[in-house]
Amino acid sequence: MSREFKRSKTARLIMMVPAAGLMLTGCGEEPVEVQVYNTPDECAAYYNPPAQCQAAFAEAKALHPKVAPRYSNKRECETDFGAGQCEAAPVIANVENNATQSEPQAQSQQSSGFFMPMMMGFMAGQMLNRGGLAGQAPQTASKNASPVASQPLYKSRDDRQTFRTASNTPVASQPGPARVKPSAVKPKPAVKARRGGFGAQAARRTSSSFGG
Amino acid sequence: MKRINCSPRPGWQQFAQSVGFNFHTFDGEPYWDETAYYQFRLQQIEQDLEQPTEDLHQMALAVVDDVVQSEQLLQQLAIPEAYWQAVRDSWHSAQPHLYGRMDFSYDGTGPAKLLELNYDTPTSLFETGFFQWVWLEDQLMRGEIPQHADQFNSLQDKLQQAFAELALPQPFYFSSVADSIEDKGTVDYLMDIALQSGLDARYIAIEQLGEADGQLVDLDGYAIEGLFKLYPWEFMLQEDFASTIISSKTQWLEPLWKSIISNKGILPLLWQKFPNHPNLLPAMFEQGQALKPGWVKKPLFSREGANIELITPQGKTVKETGPYDDSGYILQALQPLPKFVDSYSLIGSWVVGDSAAGICIREDNSLITKDSSRFLPHIILD
Repeated sequence: MSREFKRSKTARLIMMVPAAGLMLTGCGEEPVEVQVYNTPDECAAYYNPPAQCQAAFAEAKALHPKVAPRYSNKRECETDFGAGQCEAAPVIANVENNATQSEPQAQSQQSSGFFMPMMMGFMAGQMLNRGGLAGQAPQTASKNASPVASQPLYKSRDDRQTFRTASNTPVASQPGPARVKPSAVKPKPAVKARRGGFGAQAARRTSSSFGG
Repeated sequence: MKRINCSPRPGWQQFAQSVGFNFHTFDGEPYWDETAYYQFRLQQIEQDLEQPTEDLHQMALAVVDDVVQSEQLLQQLAIPEAYWQAVRDSWHSAQPHLYGRMDFSYDGTGPAKLLELNYDTPTSLFETGFFQWVWLEDQLMRGEIPQHADQFNSLQDKLQQAFAELALPQPFYFSSVADSIEDKGTVDYLMDIALQSGLDARYIAIEQLGEADGQLVDLDGYAIEGLFKLYPWEFMLQEDFASTIISSKTQWLEPLWKSIISNKGILPLLWQKFPNHPNLLPAMFEQGQALKPGWVKKPLFSREGANIELITPQGKTVKETGPYDDSGYILQALQPLPKFVDSYSLIGSWVVGDSAAGICIREDNSLITKDSSRFLPHIILD
């Protein structure tokens, strides 16, 4: 016989066998360094290239209306974020609207009737190239790819020091570098998802399996 | 190719339960059946099954290339027009595929005849890749089977390699219909292999998928960037979230172009493109003609033998009812399954990526193989 075996060398299971007791998720996630600032100017004052500060700020600002927590009235919002710290939340255009709307600018200005806190700072996910640190080689695009998205930060009424993400995860109490676990600061859409849009055909047909 | 009686491993049911194989018995009838096995010669495996599987796979891909370029063919396969461009895009951007299974009628001699392609949601994967493999190792250890016996079953090795090489987005989600134990078993097995390949694999029931701004999201509202769905494309294209197939930034397994190969309409198209190929059976689209003796009628969309009707050359009608009565039909020349002792047997031949990856054998008392048909292991012995 010229050929080797025609069956798998090993066939083991790790998840389907409860006795294996392996931890599969979560633990051992390494924190990564990010930077947290009130404004792009403050970011630049920390020896970061102004253009990179502006870019990270712009990314965070674009994300702000999509992820900021939403309240049905201004008072509820101000209870959490303080007087004068809330603004009207725009309609988040859905995909069909984007495709058919002739004036997308007008669409994004339209108020949804909801309120959201104002953006009070931003997190730069990329490691910024520190202009002030001599001898540091420019990083390549791939090295720059961060597991953390640049995003808006907020401050609650009773704790004006702490920068928090849209989902209320505290990340820093002062401007500058901070360390975060990527999974804890993953931006999440504020829009409530619709559910149950797949599976109706299976429910209509009696079968033990929808494979074959 | 022989069918050989064999003593089952004592306590195999308990072992099955312990590894999550909860559907080894189906409505009180055995589904996994190790009271016998099939024995092949290496030449039968390599020449009659492995090579034809890889050839037919390439032929099916060639038909996909024809279909995406023809509105008439997309129409004939009952793919909704709103998704034609998405089907073309998934093909032209070479969206990767994971696996499929083709079913053969083969008795150990002559060319294996292709009955159909299960290229979107094939099941009986765990039984083939894991349980059948362990059965051989156990029986070799017990001395029930000659020591140099082998098995055509590299399924788990090849799936693990595929998950490692596909560069899938992470976390990668796996989904199935919530209350189908059998489908969940298949998905659990795939997730297990994906985890072993280092993938962050997570489960979500197909009914729990969320939609926000056209993007599919998980239970926490996070975007789903990669999704394996053990759920037919032709169902998804008709349901409330169908538009997310276009709008969501999700990489799908299987990709949307698989809706062409999993469609029974591929069978007449294969016959048109490769007439008289030794592994193909004559096939045509049904256009109102009566079913004649020696022919089978199959819905464009159906699974597990449902809604299939055939008339034997002797004029006897065999018919299976089922839930797939709302699409068009194809007609295929009948190649009766070989009979061993008193059962008809069907060979499923797996493809991972573009490689043949092993076989599984199903037995039934009827000429139509169903989801309740018994699964028997096999060996290679020269």
